[in-house]
This record gives sequence, C-alpha cells and structure tokens, in this order.
Amino acid sequence: MLEQIFTMTFMTAFLAAAVRMAVPLAYAGMGELIAEKSGILNIGMEGVMLAGAFFSFAGAFFTGSILLGLVCGVVGGVAVSMIHAVLSIRLARDQSVSGISLNIFALGVTSFLYKLMSSGDSYKQIEPLSRLRIPALADIPLVGSALFEQDIMTYVLYFLVVGIAWFYAKTSMGLSFAAIGENPRAADAAGIPVHRYQYVAMVLNGVLGGIGGAYLVLVQVGNFTENMTSGRGYIALAAVILGRYMPGGILAASFLFGAANALQIRLQAVGVPLPPQALAMLPYVITLVALLTSIGKNQKPEALSRPYVRGAR
Amino acid sequence: MKNMKKMSAVILAASMAMMSLTGCGGSGDAAETTGTPAATEAAKTEAEAETGAAEAENEETEAQAAATDKTYKVAMCLSGAANDMGWCQVAYEGLKLLESEYGCEIAYTENLTPDDIEAAFADYASNGYDVVIGHGYEFGDPAMEVAEQYPDVKFIVTEGEVSADNVASYVSSCEEGGYIMGMLAAGMSETGKIGYVGPIQGASLVKIMNGFEDGAREVNPDIEVQTAWTGSFTDTALGKEAAQAMIDNGADVIGHCANEAGTGCINAAKEAGVYATGDSYDQNDLAPDTVLSSSVYHIPHVIELAFASVADGSFAGGIYNFGMKEDAVSVAPYHGLEEKIPEEVKSLIDERVAQIKSGEFKVPCDTQVR
Repeated sequence: MLEQIFTMTFMTAFLAAAVRMAVPLAYAGMGELIAEKSGILNIGMEGVMLAGAFFSFAGAFFTGSILLGLVCGVVGGVAVSMIHAVLSIRLARDQSVSGISLNIFALGVTSFLYKLMSSGDSYKQIEPLSRLRIPALADIPLVGSALFEQDIMTYVLYFLVVGIAWFYAKTSMGLSFAAIGENPRAADAAGIPVHRYQYVAMVLNGVLGGIGGAYLVLVQVGNFTENMTSGRGYIALAAVILGRYMPGGILAASFLFGAANALQIRLQAVGVPLPPQALAMLPYVITLVALLTSIGKNQKPEALSRPYVRGAR
Repeated sequence: MKNMKKMSAVILAASMAMMSLTGCGGSGDAAETTGTPAATEAAKTEAEAETGAAEAENEETEAQAAATDKTYKVAMCLSGAANDMGWCQVAYEGLKLLESEYGCEIAYTENLTPDDIEAAFADYASNGYDVVIGHGYEFGDPAMEVAEQYPDVKFIVTEGEVSADNVASYVSSCEEGGYIMGMLAAGMSETGKIGYVGPIQGASLVKIMNGFEDGAREVNPDIEVQTAWTGSFTDTALGKEAAQAMIDNGADVIGHCANEAGTGCINAAKEAGVYATGDSYDQNDLAPDTVLSSSVYHIPHVIELAFASVADGSFAGGIYNFGMKEDAVSVAPYHGLEEKIPEEVKSLIDERVAQIKSGEFKVPCDTQVR
C-alpha cells in the first residue's frame, strides 16, 4: 500500500488533483479577500458560488458557449453579492445574518430553477472546457502536470493573484480600498468615497465568487447538481483567514485545502484502512489548527463586518 | 425603544405560532397543490410502465378492493420535496399510483425534519387515515411511537428497520442490483482493477457497495475493487475526483451508488474512456458510450406492493425485503454497448438474474463497512 502511495505516478496525479480542487476555492477566496479588505464580510460566498455554478450551467447549456456560460455565471454571482451589498452597505444590516440567509436563499433558488429547467427529461450535460497543455513546462517531473497541464482558468488565476497582490501593495487606489476596511471614518475624511468603493468591492466579490462556482460546472464536471458547491464557499472563507488576508497566502491555503481533499479521496481509493469520515475531516482539522496557531496575530481588517454609517457615532 | 422591543416580541410570537400551525395543521391539502401537472403526468406514465409487469396480481387485488368497496385514505410523509427528481419523487409517484389504480384518497407532507415526523404521523392517524407511509429509515422510530396510540392505522416505512403489529418496513434489496453491476464490471475489466464510489456510509448504501464487491469476486476472484466514500450526496466534483483517483490507479470500470455525486463518476469515466455502471435509474443517456448498464430501483412498485397487502387484508407487521423477485429491483438494458460485452459475461449475468428471481440464489446482504 505504501509503495502504491510513494510512487511518481501517484504523487504526480495527486498534485494535479490538488490543483483542480484548489482553483474554485482560490477564485472564491480572492473574491472574499476583496470584500473583506473593504470591511464587508460575505458569509454568503457559498450562495454566490452556487449561483455562479447554476447560471453558468444554464448559460452554457442554452447558448452552447462556455464563454457565454461564464458570463452568465458571473452575472449570477454578482446578483447574489449585490443583495448582500445593499443590505450591508446601504441598509447597514448585520452582515452575518444577511450572509447566512443568502446561502439558504441561493440553495433554494438554484434548486428550484434547475428543476424548472430540467422538467420532463432528467439530465442535461455540457461539454466541459478542455485542458491546455503548455509544451515543455508540462514535462517537468512531479509538478509539471499539476501546474502546466490545466485549463485556461487555472492559468488566469496565477496572474490574477499576482495582480491583486500588486494592486494592494503598490497602488494608491489599492491603499484606498484597504483603508476603508481599516478605518472607514478616516478614509471618508481623506476624501475616499467609502460606500462607492465598497459597492465596487462587492461587485468584484460576485465576479470572482461566480467564477469559482462556474469553474465547478464549466471545467470540472459539465453539469449542475443541487447544492453542488457542498461547503466550498465556507472553505474559501477559511482560506482567507488561513492565508492571512494576503493573495499569495490565500492561494497557498486553497492549495492546502484542495490537497487535503484530493489526498483523502485518493487514500481511500488505494485502500488505506482509515475510516473515510476521519479522512474527510482533514481539511477542517487543518483549518482549526491554523486558527489556533495564529492566535495573537491579527491581520483582520479593523472595521470588518462593522457597517459604516456616515456621520453616526 | 421599549415599544420596539414589545412589538418585535409580538411579531416573533406570532410568526412562531404560524410556523407551528403550518407544521402540524392541514398540511396535506396545502401540499396537494404543489404537485405540478407535468410531474403528475410523468408519474402516471412511469406508473403505467411499472405496473405492466405485475398487472396480473394487480387485477386480483383490485377486484378484492372493489368487492369490499372501501376507499382507503392513504397519507405519505416525505423528508424532501415531492418533485426532487429522486428519492422523494419516486415515492410520490408511488402515492399517485395508489390514487389512480386503487382509487385511494391521498395526502402528503413534504420537507419533514426528524423532529416534525411524529406530529405529522399523529395528525394523519387521528384524522382517519387508514395507511400512513413514511419514506426513509428515519421515519421508523417515530412510526413506532405513534403506532402504539393508533392500533387501527397501518404504518408503512420504506427502507426502515422497525416492525410492530401495525408497523411494517419494506426494504428494497438494492444489493441485488449492486451484485449484478459488480459481475458486469469484473467481466468487462481488462486491468483486473475496478472502482466503486459511495456517498455516505448508511446501511442501505453499504450493502450495495458490498454487493458490488461480492458480484465482482464471483466473476474474477482476484479482482481488485477500489472503494471510496465522498461523504456527500451532492459533491459532484469530489465524486469525479474519486473516480479519477481510481482510474489513475488503473481501474477501468467505475461503479457508483452516489446519487448526484455519482454523475461526476460517470463523467470521469467518460473523459478517461473507461466504462461505468449506473445506479437508481437507467443512466445510459448520461453517457451512452460509457454506461454499460444500471441497477434500477422501483420504489413506486414497492409502495404499491405494501399497499396491496393492506387492501387484501394480508398486512402484518414485519420487515420485508423486495428485490428482483418482486420486480422492485431490475437491471437496465445495455443499449448501444450490447455488442461490446462478451457473450459469456452476458449469459453469466442472465443466469444469475434468473436465479435471483426464482429465489435459487440469494445475494448476501452485508451492511457492515468492509
């Protein structure tokens, strides 16, 4: 059994699977980072992803185009994010309550719409996006297949992570977007339009979360099933904390969660005599341990989940 | 401020009262309207197809029902929505079948959570329903509780493991389908490795996986059966990853009993160009060049058989297993892959199916995780 695990083929296939499992988490994590940096906690990420998944499927199915499907998924994600944005920015409601209701709402709406869509015949399927192998690089042993034999969305993610990191670290606009999450009153006094920037952040939150959900449909499985995100939105929230609110860190955390999930399912398949429930706990155990070890280090935006009302005390 | 508090308290109390009312009140009638005409239509055609096989015995029971001239009131409790295209919908189709074939007066309640089940049962029992059906093993214990207070009402629990004088459990022998799928998978495997993906380790699912393994071993005693549990019925992407892991390990036929997550397994097999077996219904149209056959469960028929025993007066408490012999489980046709399957595999399977149907061969029902 052990000799089955410590082979080149197993490790190569495992790493490739880890990246596949990590990409939707990373996209959603980036979206959540942008929202949280601007002071808005979107627990509704699960709902955003689920809407992205459903609408991308519907779009791709009816138009026959993956690209249009992706656009629909993004629109679906933004629609859910905007509900949260209006509730938490304009109406200054409790963001946890709003986020949790959105998750339940999105589950109901997508399941209902899917049933309407598939009434009569039982099953619908689209052709998922094929992989794009980057010649020479994909031949690197061990990591070549994981990093350079993936789909285009995975490559875009690499650039996105670098782009977001650069945006927050090097541009004054990025500083403004981070300032409204740290001290909105001071930012307001400095002439930054707090609410407008928060809306922009929430649109990006919906775009990226929607892509995260759409990835599941358009790249991974090619069909939609009820509640198919199965908690990935929550894992993305954990990835943001574990990644210490840094794009690179979130990418690494997503990879860790993806790897844990890919590993547990692969260990089961080679017949490791561990109960699958214990293996399935792995990602969550990692999260808890990571939270414990980060005690005392607070990278959280200061004004996170506190609504900013202009002129109020 | 004080007024605000008072008002919110009143609103809260009112809404809670409303919730409890809808929880146990005349939910049957309210729920009735939710069944769309399309769903009913589908239910009917499905029902017609299903009854075809057992027509002969139906006529008999129908005649008896007519003779006693009694209109039975049958209620059904579901854990999900009646149009969920899966577990609950097939039960609802069974209920509609009782209405159309036996002239029963029907009612049903959807989306029951475990804490509401007892109240729903008691509600129906006290309102003069003759038969109350709970669809799923979780309805077993509440049925036992309520049945004691209403000895004249017959309680039927599908996939249950309880019995009393007026409580009977009807279990589909899904392991028979799993066994045949295992035989087929082992017969088609060239690498000597096959895989099977399950959702959550419940007894009714473990027995299918074990049946698959046993069936595979019968055809090829040296076969390697790789297994994995996704821990979810809905995580399609993880189901696909599980199947992918097995394919990477050399498996060349993938079976599943993982509902929605299982469609991911079939997709992985399709992409890798290996075969798969389906579960629950004929899944060949998901991937016509991939799905060899499916193990099909006829829940409406099980419900019909259960009711028939009430109608003809033979109802007795107990746990009943319905399998291929009773037409509750069947094997889907091979469709376009007919020629790809070797004759000896087909004849071996046909022989086994015939033996299971005649009762000559009993598929072991093992609910222990291996």
